[in-house]
Amino acid sequence: MYAPSKKSSTFFIITTAVPILVLLYSFVYPLYNQYFPKCFFYLLTGLHCPGCGSQRAIVSLLHGNFSDALHNNLLAVAALPLLIYSFIALCVNVFTKKIVRQKIFYNPLFVKVLLTIVIVFSVLRNIPSYPFNLLAPLQ
Amino acid sequence: MEQNYQQNPSLQQPPLTPPKNWLVESILVTILCCLPFGIAGIVFASQVNTKYAAGDYNGALQASKDAGKWTKIGFFVGIGVIILYMIWIFFIVGVAAFSSRYNF
Repeated sequence: MYAPSKKSSTFFIITTAVPILVLLYSFVYPLYNQYFPKCFFYLLTGLHCPGCGSQRAIVSLLHGNFSDALHNNLLAVAALPLLIYSFIALCVNVFTKKIVRQKIFYNPLFVKVLLTIVIVFSVLRNIPSYPFNLLAPLQ
Repeated sequence: MEQNYQQNPSLQQPPLTPPKNWLVESILVTILCCLPFGIAGIVFASQVNTKYAAGDYNGALQASKDAGKWTKIGFFVGIGVIILYMIWIFFIVGVAAFSSRYNF
């Protein structure tokens, strides 16, 4: 049974890993991007999966280039508010006596809509013609 | 409590909270690991919510276990690919250093 608990271990993992990754992608990635892992799925199939370009999207965001971030991976940028919301709820659960349940993630309709968006997005971004290739990552 | 529900599901009302659906973790795996396992995780997360809403608590619990399984597979395959990639890069850099030293 899942009751939202005070998951302080998750909190400490996130608050340790995220600053390290932010530093890595702000300062190391621009110099040594050829050594960073490439998408395994793309190397095997040549297709863009829903996650392709999210690494470049995060780098673009860290450098303040919002339009490049949207071009590289629209879905990753769109998912950021959800992830931030989830993190804030986690912080509230760890630091206060209140327990916030993230009800939107338990709404059946929300998950179906999300699944449809992910699948439609991954199909559209592989169509190599004008309005759809805007969704493919920048080269 | 938990074992009670599993042993005698008919004797008690289903719990008020749905089982963990791993949705946030599945979204993360979908976006960052670029592997189809994240999508499988979202499919099972959807089943957790639908089955819990329909009153099928045991079905939701099973879907929760499957969602967790696929999300963890996606996560560890992603980590594994990154480690293999780093080994490969160190190998290439090593070969390049070796060959430049001996002028092959």
